[in-house]
Parts: sequence; structure tokens; C-alpha cells
Amino acid sequence: MSTPTEILVLDDEPLVCERLKEHLEKKDYRVEVFTESQKAIDRLSAKRFDVVITDLKMEGPNGLEVLRFVRDHSAGTQVIVITGYGSMDAAREAEYSGAFGFVHKPFRAKTLEAMVRKAARQARKLMERAAR
Amino acid sequence: MPVAQALRSVFRHRHHATAAQLREKLRRFRDLVEHNDRVLELIADAGEKLGGEYVFDNKYLRDLADRLRESVHEVVADLNAISSSRYPELAAALAEIDAAVTAALECRLVVPEAPWVLPLADISTEQIETVGAKMARLGEVHGQIGCRVPEGFVVTTHACREFLESAGVLARVEALRTRFADGDEGLEDEARRIREEILSAPVPREMSRAIRHAVTSLVRPGEEDVLLAVRSSGPEEDGELSFAGQYETLLGVSTDGVCDAYRTVVASLFSPGVLRYQRRHQVPPGCGFMAVGVLRMVPARASGVVYSVDPAAPERNVLLVSAARGLGKLVVEGGGPVDRLEVSRDPGHEVVSARVGMKERMFVAVPGRGAVPEAVPDEERGTLALAPWETAELGAIACRIERYMRSAQDIEWAIDHAGRIYVLQARPLHVAPIERTADRDLTDLGERYPVLMRGAGEIACRGIGSGRVRIVSDPDALPVDIRPGTVLVARAATPRLGGLLGGASAVITDLGSATGHFAAVARDLRVPTIVDTGIATRTLEDGAVVTVDAEDNVVYAGRVEELLHFELLERSSFQSAAEFRVLRRMLRRIAPLRLRDPTDPEFTAKRCATYHDVIRFAHEKAIAELTDIGWVKTSRGVSYVRRLELPIPLDLVLIDLGGGFRTDTDRKVASPGDILSRPLLPVLEELTAAGVWETAPTSMDLDGFMSSATRSTPLTGVMAARPEQNLAIVSGEYLHLSLRLGYHFNIVDTYLGEASADNYIYFRFAGGVTEVARRSRRAALLKRILERHGFVAEGRGDLVVGRIKGLGAEAMEERLRMVGRLIGFTRQLDIHLRTDRLVDDYVARFMGGPTAAERDDAPERGQ
Repeated sequence: MSTPTEILVLDDEPLVCERLKEHLEKKDYRVEVFTESQKAIDRLSAKRFDVVITDLKMEGPNGLEVLRFVRDHSAGTQVIVITGYGSMDAAREAEYSGAFGFVHKPFRAKTLEAMVRKAARQARKLMERAAR
Repeated sequence: MPVAQALRSVFRHRHHATAAQLREKLRRFRDLVEHNDRVLELIADAGEKLGGEYVFDNKYLRDLADRLRESVHEVVADLNAISSSRYPELAAALAEIDAAVTAALECRLVVPEAPWVLPLADISTEQIETVGAKMARLGEVHGQIGCRVPEGFVVTTHACREFLESAGVLARVEALRTRFADGDEGLEDEARRIREEILSAPVPREMSRAIRHAVTSLVRPGEEDVLLAVRSSGPEEDGELSFAGQYETLLGVSTDGVCDAYRTVVASLFSPGVLRYQRRHQVPPGCGFMAVGVLRMVPARASGVVYSVDPAAPERNVLLVSAARGLGKLVVEGGGPVDRLEVSRDPGHEVVSARVGMKERMFVAVPGRGAVPEAVPDEERGTLALAPWETAELGAIACRIERYMRSAQDIEWAIDHAGRIYVLQARPLHVAPIERTADRDLTDLGERYPVLMRGAGEIACRGIGSGRVRIVSDPDALPVDIRPGTVLVARAATPRLGGLLGGASAVITDLGSATGHFAAVARDLRVPTIVDTGIATRTLEDGAVVTVDAEDNVVYAGRVEELLHFELLERSSFQSAAEFRVLRRMLRRIAPLRLRDPTDPEFTAKRCATYHDVIRFAHEKAIAELTDIGWVKTSRGVSYVRRLELPIPLDLVLIDLGGGFRTDTDRKVASPGDILSRPLLPVLEELTAAGVWETAPTSMDLDGFMSSATRSTPLTGVMAARPEQNLAIVSGEYLHLSLRLGYHFNIVDTYLGEASADNYIYFRFAGGVTEVARRSRRAALLKRILERHGFVAEGRGDLVVGRIKGLGAEAMEERLRMVGRLIGFTRQLDIHLRTDRLVDDYVARFMGGPTAAERDDAPERGQ
């Protein structure tokens, strides 16, 4: 068995974190959740994750800033952006800034899982390439 | 916008005074329909979110409430404009629904105006906000299911609110709620102070007089005094969360002690155990007001609990019965041995297995002292408390209640000395979903980890938990708190122990029963629990790390990772998650449709209890307004309103916007030959075709009909088109068709001109008379047929909307003929859609079926 896929979830709604943790852990992912973006960034400085799932609008550093941080500091890590209503433009921006994809709240857990699976595969591929 | 253009050009030229009114009415009607659709979509969408597949947050719930409110208010504003504000009571009804939805969103309960007390015989689940969940259900068990329940009354939530206000704590309760929402710590002290103040506050004089009066009515002539049970009926109790045993219930209360008992029960809203429970489930403290039931105590020969399924093995066909002599205290509180029976769920309800408990003690109600223990006579100790025919009757009652409530039930009962069975309480039984238990390949665990206990006692809540053992042998000296992750090992499964469950990873007890309060709380909290092992406190070592497998009833030494992983995979707790609870409660005031039959005298603005009711009412009245006979009469001299004479029983009023039909005749009715409207012609051509109207109105099967909501319309009248309900607003190129056929509503809004880019068809189908399964089959069928004809179709719940645009004239006509045929085809369709497979058949039949022109001579084509 390969090492488990590491996922960081960041959303200022604890409910969303809780639900994502529940769904993703069922699929054997290892999940850490954060409701404050600065704490998530601190954690991202200390540990490498395969996939980061982040909300867009948050107090403190917002989702885009988290995305940029990951892009600059954690090669290969893929970012999936969660957006609420009416933040479509920001979501596009996120996509252009190198996010793997985005999902709109409310979303089907399965939709996100499918995206996470692909993102994790992509992350592993990039990391292996970097290691070679 | 071609339609607007058409309207403008028409009205510029003629009927200036009335035309302006008509134009405004029509504009408003289109607006109403649009918002109506929006609301139906939002309702269907929200219902889907309850299934557990979606991840959503509070923002979604707030947005949902906002968007619904906005659209429903638009609908009402449109109706007001169309009807010159003919329904002022609608505003009041709507305001009440708004308040209720907001309250649900904010985790508050609305306290409706109500008398201080209501007799139990008069209440049902509709009054849940007034009488609390427990009493509402008991009222239903009596009134709807016909079970015997104790005589009694309920002191309402309205009374509670008044009491808290007179005690001077109402504002502080509100503040407590806000602090909770803000995640404020240290609420326990404030809650304790509130509780103490409630306990010392006098019940307002008028209220206490009303209570005493109601108590007097429970005393029968010749009786000196009666013993009463004073029971909590809390806001969430027995609903999505059981709160079992968390609020106070006082037994053996004498008539003059009722007001004191009332205070005690209300104060238990703020007890430490309740607070812990609320914290765990994110229910703000004092989020509602406590209703209190006051019931005559049944002089019980025996009492206990029946579960309509075995929560540990839901697939087994048995009911579980626990019985004690005297009052049921021993059963629900788990304080001593009781009888345990497995009873078949099949009619006859034979006993499958029985374990006689050595019943040395029983509780009896003693005036002024409550429930008092007494020794059971020697000869009765080792015998079953219930006779076989009594268990059979109990089984029948449990199955009846389960069927009515549509969920597994946890029922408290008592049987008096004359052998009469009383239902004291009925609530949903929380059963963990049975999943891939058989998939576990953990067969050799016993070889790898020492087994400390196996097969002792009963599983009260399935699951796996691991942690350090903490033994609690003295139920009177419970620790205040335990370390999170502790495996709690206790002598007795008392409700008070329930207060510690929040932090426990698993629980094992020596005594107790899987049907007690403690077990109910354990299930709510999904804490793996094994009760009645007899040996746990002696066998397990304080401080040792163990793994409790409450799936297979084994306790292992050490931490068994394989099992814990299994548990992780199986865990599913979405239903009791906070956001799901809030959504469920919001939807109660949003989605149900009570106003179904417009001919019912109860079909009034005042009776609107949900958003769905409001839009249904508004839509109906708007159509009535536009097709009002008086309106048609006043426009007698006006040539642009005509009745259309058709060879079918369809009464259609035509309103011409210009060029829709020939207006140069003197006749008061128009005939099909007068029609000029380009889009109306193809629709009518198929709709009026022979065959569509041949089906006898009574050909529906009775099941299909009866499963719809109760209504008073006679069978023969259901499918007959109602006069004054059907309306076609037409111009040369435009058609707005509103058709009400039986319980189906069809709307066709279309423009058919020379430029393809302007052309469109909007087709909407809503309503239906049968049960949900058939309605959704019908929706699926319509969706598929529309899609096959190139429509973008959305089907949600009761509503199917199809849209298509940009077609050339010929293609448009073809689609409009199809729409006409579809309206006729679906007229009785859901009545026939008994199975999913029939949907395929009907799609094939429709797609391959002959058109009106072919119908007479061509044989049916296969698909």
C-alpha cells in the first residue's frame, strides 16, 4: 500500500470542515481541518499535503492567498477551492491562479471526492517527477 | 422581448382604460408564475439537501430562507396587484410563516398564542410548537391511532414563556442563547442561576388557577385525590434528538403539588446534563420553551418499554419488550433486573424468547412521596410480569404506532389491574443503519488480542470504541466530567450517567437495559454501548486500555486498530448533525402542502401554514381572478374576451391581445375556426383530439387515489375540467395557456413568429393526485419525453419545467403539437404509473404513438 493521501481542509464554517472530514476519512484519506486560514498556512509551512481544500472568503488571509502560498511553497500540492453563492468571479480567478478546480456550496460530497481523487493523482505525479 | 412588444402594440391602439388594467394584470400574472416556479425549485432543492449527500453550511440555510421569503413575497405582491388586495389575511399568515422559518434558522422555537392549558384529548402533532413533541405525539397516539392513553392535559409553551417572563429570567435566557451561538464558555453558571430562580419563582396567579382547574377536571366523582405524573414535553424532546431522561419527569404527584412539580420540570431546561447534551448537539440552551404534560397515573400492575425493532439487529423480525412489576422506573432507568422478551413482529405476536428477571423490587406511586420502592411478593419474583395475550396486544399496539408514525418506535407502556394497556409515551427509535457488517474480515482478532469479555449483556448502541477504562461503581458519586475518549464502565445504566456520555468513547454497564433512557441517549450520541453484562465492573481494570466492539459484543485488551478503522468507515452521523436538524425544522414551515383542494371551504388565506400553501393559494386565486366570470361579463361589450367553444369538456376563456382570434363576429363565444393565434392552433389541435378525453374519470385505481391527501372531492368530479380555471391569453404570435385539468396544472407560455431567435416554448407541469412515488415517476417520464424533443427539462418533486427556444416555425409547431398531446396524455397518467418499468413503456408509447392525424388509420408504431 502506498502512503495515505494527506488532505488539508480550510473553511471558516466548522460544519463544512466536520462534514468533509467525515466523508473523506471514509475514503481512507488522512484529513486535517482548520477554520482559521493563518493556522492553516502555518501548518502548510510545516507539512506537505497532497491536496488542500479551501474556502474562498474568510477573515485573515483569504482562499486566494492560501492558494498563492501553496503554489509558492509546496510544489505539487493541488488546491481545490470551495465557493459560496455569488463568488463566481473570484472562483474563476482562483482557477486562473492555478487551482486544480472549484466546487460551489452546497455541493455533493461525491463530486468533491471525485475531484480530490484526481487532484491527489496529479499531486503524486508531479511529486514523483520532481523527485526524479 | 417580442411578448412585451406585442402587448405594447396591442394596447397602444385599443381599449385604453381596461387595456391598461389588463396589461398590468397579465404582467403581474407572468411575474407570479415565475416566482412561483422559483419557490417550487428552491423547495425541491432543499429537500434534496436532506438526503445526506450534500455538504452545506449555515450560509446556505440563510440564503435559502432569504430567497424563499423574497420570492414568496413577490408572489403575494403579484396576487395583490391582480386582485386589488382582495386577501388581506394572507399577509398575516405569511408574516407568521416568515417568523417561524427565521426562528427555525436561529434555532428558536416560535411560541404560538395558546391557552395556558390544553386537554390531551384535543391535541395532535400539528400543535407541536404549543404542546412540545412528546405530548403532541401522545395526543396523536390517542386521537389518530386510537390507543388508550392516560387522561390529562398539557401546560403549553405559551404558559412557559409567560412563567419565565414573570420569573424575570426571559431576557437572560435569550442572552444565554446568543452567548452559546457566539461560542461563549462558562454558560453553566448562568444556567444554574436561571434554574434556581425558576425554582423559587411563583407561578403567575391566573396560570396557576387554570392549572388547578384542569387538575380538578381529572378527579372523578367520589375520588378524594388522584396521583399524577408531571412530564416534560420539551422543544426537541422525542424529535430528532431524544433528550431521553434529560428533562425531569415527576411521578406520584398529588393534586396540590402540581404547580411545584411544574416549576421543577420547567427548571430542568437548564440542568447541567441538558446543557452538556445541547453543547454536544449544538442546540442552544433554552432554544425553546418547555410544555409540560400532567397525566393521571395509571395504577400499574406492570410497566415497561417496547421497541418495535431490535436496534442492535434491525434486520431481525422481532419486537423487544422489557417489563417490570409496578411502575416502569426500573425499565427506563435501568436499576434492576426486569423481564426481557423477544416478540415476533408478525400478527399474533408470539413470544420468540423470554428471559425472566428476578424482580425483587418494584416501584409504586405513593401520594406525596412519588415513586417508592416496594418488595415484590416472593411468588411473583421469578414469573413473567405479562401474560402471553398481553404481550401480543402490546406487539399489535407497537406495530400500529410504528405504521402510523412511519418509523421504528420506542414506546413506554403500563398495564392496569384490569389488564388495560396504556401508552405513556411513543418516540422514534434511533437505529444505526445496517451496513456491510458481513464484509468485515476480522476473524482472527481473538488470536491477536486478548479477549476480556465476550457475549455478556446486550448491545445498546452499535459501534467500536477504544480508550482507558474508568470504573464508576457508585451511581451517587458520579465524577463531574471524564477525560475525552474514556471507556466508561459503570454499575448501573442510570440516566444521570448519560450526562457523562459526551466524552466517552464507549460504555459498558453491569445492569441496565437496551430499552432504557440511558441507551437512548447513547444512541443519540452514537456512543458504542453494552449494557447488562453483570460482570464489567469486576472484570475490567481501572486505567487499562481496552477496545469495545459493540458490533460483535466483545471487549479486547489494548487498542485494536483494525476495528477502529472499520468503525471509521461505517460511521454515519449526518442525520443528527446540526445543519440537517435546522434544515428539517425550517422545511416544516416551507414544504408541506396542506391547501390542496380549492373547492374545500378550508382553502383560505388564513389556513396557509407554509410557503408552499401560500404560493398554491396565490396561484389559484390569481387564475380565478383572471378568469373571473364577472370580469368576462363586464367585458361583454368588449370583443377581446371570449369563451371558446370546444368539442371536449374544457371550458377555456380566450383573451385577445391582438390578432389572436376573429373579433369581427357578433357571437359571444368563439369557435375553433375563429382562432388565429399561431401557437394556439397546434396545441389545441392535439389537445382536443379524440382519445385524449375518452378515459373514464373513474378509471384510476383506488389505491392511487386514496394515497393522496384526504380530500372531500367526489371521485367522479376529480378529472372533470373545472369551469373558470382555464385561460388562454393570445395574440397572433403569442400564447399564454393556463390549464387546470383535475389536479394537474399546465402552463404553456410561447411565442411563435417568423424570426427563429424570438421563438420559445416554456412548458410547466405541476400538481398531481397520487403518492410521491408515482408523482416522481410521472416527473421522470415528462422529463424524458421533453428531453427527447429537444427541451431543456428540469424535474423536481411535483414540478416539471421544459424550455426550448430558437426554433424555426415548423419545428415550433411540431413541438407545440407535442405539448398539446402531452397535456392530454398526462391527464391521468400518474394514476397508472404503478411501477418504474411502466415509465419506459409510457415513454415508448408516447414517442411512438400516433399523432391526431394518424390516429384514425395508422397502426401503433413500436419504439
